[in-house]
Order: sequence, then structure tokens, then C-alpha cells
Amino acid sequence: MTLSTFLSSALVLGLLEAAPLVLAAIGFTLIFRLNGFVNVAYSENITLGAYFAVIFNSILGLNFYLAIIPAAFLSGVLSVLTYLIIFRPAFKRGVGKTELIILSVGVSYFIRYGSRLLFGNNLFNFTFESTSYLTVFGIGVTDIQLICIGLVAIISVAIYFFIYKTNYGEKMRALADNEELAMISGINPLKVSILIWFLAGTAGGLAGLFYGAFSFVSSSLGWNLILIVIMVTIVGGIGSIRGALVASACVGIITSAVTLLSNSLYGEIVLLIIFIGILKIRKVRV
Amino acid sequence: MEQLLSGYVIYSLSFLLIFISLATILHLQFSLTGIVNFGIVGFWGLGMYSFSILLLKANLPFVPALLLASVITGIVSWALGSIILNLDDQAVLVGTLAFATIIEYLATTEKWITNGVMGFGTVSLPFDIGRLSLFVYSLIILVCLVILMLYANQLKKSPYGRLLLSIKDNEILSQSLGKPTFQHKVIFFTITCAIIGFFGAMSAPLYSFIFPRMIGPGITFTIWIALMLGGRTRLFGGLIGVIATIGLFDYFIETVVPIPTQFAEMVPNVKFALYGLTLILVLMFRPLGILGDKKREAKR
Repeated sequence: MTLSTFLSSALVLGLLEAAPLVLAAIGFTLIFRLNGFVNVAYSENITLGAYFAVIFNSILGLNFYLAIIPAAFLSGVLSVLTYLIIFRPAFKRGVGKTELIILSVGVSYFIRYGSRLLFGNNLFNFTFESTSYLTVFGIGVTDIQLICIGLVAIISVAIYFFIYKTNYGEKMRALADNEELAMISGINPLKVSILIWFLAGTAGGLAGLFYGAFSFVSSSLGWNLILIVIMVTIVGGIGSIRGALVASACVGIITSAVTLLSNSLYGEIVLLIIFIGILKIRKVRV
Repeated sequence: MEQLLSGYVIYSLSFLLIFISLATILHLQFSLTGIVNFGIVGFWGLGMYSFSILLLKANLPFVPALLLASVITGIVSWALGSIILNLDDQAVLVGTLAFATIIEYLATTEKWITNGVMGFGTVSLPFDIGRLSLFVYSLIILVCLVILMLYANQLKKSPYGRLLLSIKDNEILSQSLGKPTFQHKVIFFTITCAIIGFFGAMSAPLYSFIFPRMIGPGITFTIWIALMLGGRTRLFGGLIGVIATIGLFDYFIETVVPIPTQFAEMVPNVKFALYGLTLILVLMFRPLGILGDKKREAKR
């Protein structure tokens, strides 16, 4: 393998890998920015987004691209439900930040193994009408992958505009920065929180669904991703969507470069070591 | 009687003892010093793997291999602790979780020494006195656990224990009184993680065959759930919690309760879903667990 083919493969495969990760990181960072804790249960949002799409696509026979819409909506609803049923009461009870993470681990376990009771331990694949193979910079990709990347780009830009350019987005940021001040300014915290959790859930569900489209859907799909999502969010800077974008792309490219050279697990190990290093260097107040 | 002493019951009890020890150490790290260790299984697995490698590949005798494995775990945890322990809780949590994942991946990738996903063995008990071997070995684990508990109890009463508590409650105040809090945290973390490594090494002969799937994150979370359920501020919290979770599900229900075979593969799913539910209920309604009071310590 020459250097240029190595670089272009790492780039293309890395960006393919990173595309859904961007969405997951955006959703995760929204909740993180608003409520200030690492929501491990977000992993189940990713998984269930993929499962919802499986229901509409493989079981009900809907076209994959049409199945995206109800699946994304349902994952948003799921996210709002976890907020209203579990996390909001927990905030009111004054559960501490560390305990909130442990609580979210509990929620994650409950949803993951509960859904495994419904869906069984099987793996699912999406059904596509036809797949054609294309080459980009000499790397073989499928049209589905390209469409997914396009959709991810459109959705990310839409979320970015929503948060930074609209009135609702301004309210969300106000609430995340200072809840009391936001309330005095006449912002209804419940309404805005629900909106953020819905948006985050939608983004997570879409991420899971695209991951499922690239490989397969299993009950541990989200769980296997969550550590990387947390990493990307922290490294990219909390609440920074641009940061999440850049960090996701770097993660994708580093993983695929190391994977091309040796073993995919080494890619993850390298990432985790870099991550611990960055935690230290930036002295992050997570 | 001899049948019983060499059989499944003793085997299960030995595992329970190991997990109770881990939960007790977690109690020391979390409730005494405020270290949120989400990488228990990493230290445990490191102890287990390094012990087995020293025993089988380097042909060391049992006791030196055991001690060396604990020392290796201690050194690694010292390195990790010096990097992350002066960051805040959430950073410690994800840092230790990342560490445990690295250990699990390394156990898979380093085929030349661990034989990858296939695993390697057989680690046998250090002595062979017929049928009673396993029983005697579990007694040794019990003695280790009792020593650990006595040490924990003594530690809480000692001035050093109070120093650790002060770090947990108000690290800045403790620093302003001239205590090198970071250094104390690192030392305490190193010692306790080395003990986790010791128990990891001790559990290797019980499994006898070591493979990477054993050191998945499930164990870390199970122990956290057990400690939270039992009562994280109490010495016996870990013991009660482990019996109420692992003891009840993995041993009591799986051996005593008749489960039709078509449902058998669903049992682990039900178990983990219930673990999750238990954790939610405990944190919402009884934050200090079965043994703790109903009150939350302090509202921040």
C-alpha cells in the first residue's frame, strides 16, 4: 500500500465512521450542556433509534429512508420520557452529580436488557431495495453510505442553525447557562428542557440508525459507542457542537488509520490513551 | 458432606467472597475518599491476567506470582491515579472506565501472551489435598476478606481515615490545613487497587481458564449496583448488596428455582433489567441503601 492510498483510505473510511458519531456527540453534548452530567443512558437512545427503524423497515416493510422519520421521532419521545419519568424527579430530589451518572447506568441497564427481552438476542439488518457500489478516491463505498453521510451533514447543519440562530435555540442556551436568570427572563424551563431532550434523543436515534445501516443492529450497539461519544464530547469541549464535529472526524480518521495498519482494537486503545492524556492536559472540569 | 464441600456450593460461595471483597474495597474508595472508580474490573482483570501469566508462562511459584501480580496492579494504578485523581469526579469516572476498557482490549489483542479471545489455562489450585482442596482455598479467601474488613473498620476510626474523609467532604479545606490531599489520594488509590489486583489473582484458580470476556464492564456495574443497594456508607453494605444481587440471581435462582429451558436464555436479561431497576429505585428513594438512613447526607 502506498502512502497516498493509505492516507486517502484512512480519510474516506474515517469520515464514514465519523458521520453517525457526529450526530451522537451533538445529542449527548446538548444534554450535558443543559444538565451537566454524563448521561450513560443516552447509549440506549442510540440503540433504540436503530431498533425503531428495524421495526418500520424490516418488520413493517417500509422503505429505509421513510422509516427514518418515525424512528427519529420515537427516539426523541423516548428521550423525553426518560427525562420526565426519571431524571427530572431525580434533579428535584437533589441527587448529586456522581449519583446521577450511576443512576443513568441503572436506566441504561434497565432499557437495554428490557429491550433485549422484547427483541431477543438476535442481530438485525436493514433491507435496502438495491445497493450500488461506487468509488471515492479509489475507495469502494456503497451509495447507502454516501446518502447517510449527506443526511448526517444536513441534519447536523440543521441542528446547528436551530441552536445558534433561532429564538428557541437562544432560550435553550440561556437555560443551560443560568437557570434562574432564564426563569426570570420568562423562559419556561420545563418546555425548553423537553425540547432539548427531544432534540438530543432524535439525534441519538438517527446516529444509531445510521450505524445499523452500515453494519447491523444489536442490543449493545449504543453501549459499545457510548465511551467514544463521551470522549468526543469532552475532547471537543462541552456544549460545543463545532468541537464535537472536529473531534468526531479526528476520532474516525485515527481509528481507521490504526485499523488499516494493524488491528481495530489498537485503534480504540490509542484513542482511549489519547483521551486520558487530554483529560489531564486540559484539566477539564467535566 | 465431602461431596458438598468439593462441589458447586463451595465454588459459588468462593465467588461471592471475591465479589464481597471488591464491593468492600469500592466502599473504601468511594465513601471514604470519594474516588469514583468505574474501572474495578480493569484492576481485577490486570491482577488475574498478570498472575496467570507469571504462573504459567514464567513458571513462578504461586505465592510470588500472587504478590508480584498485586505489585504490578499497584504500579499501574499509581500511574493512572497520578494522571487523573486531581481532576473532578466525572473525569475520574470516565478515566477509570477508559482504563478498564484498555485492559480488556489488550487482553484480546496481545495474543502472544494471552492467547486472545481463546483464552488460556489451566490455573490450578496451589495445593492438592484431595476433595477438600477447594474448601480450604475458599477458607483462605474468607480469611483475606475478614482481614480486609477488620482493616477497613480500623481505618475508619483512625486519624488517617479521618484525613481521607476530610478529603472527600471538602478537599480545598483539607488542603488549606496543609494536607497533601492529592498525594494521599494517589497512595490510597494505589494500595486499594493493588488489593483489588490481589483478589483478581486469587480468583484465577477458581475460573481456571482465563479469557477476555470475563473482564467486561458488567462486573464493575454489578459491584456498583450491589454497593449502592447494600449501603455505600456502611462497612457491611457491600456484603449485604452482593448477597442480595449476585447471590440471589446467579446462585440461588439459577440453582434452586426450576426454570423451563425455553426461558433459560432470558434469565440474564431479566436479571440485568432488574439490577437496573433496583439501582434506579435505590438512588431515588433510599440513596444510602438498605443499611443507610433515609436521609441524604447533605444537599449541595
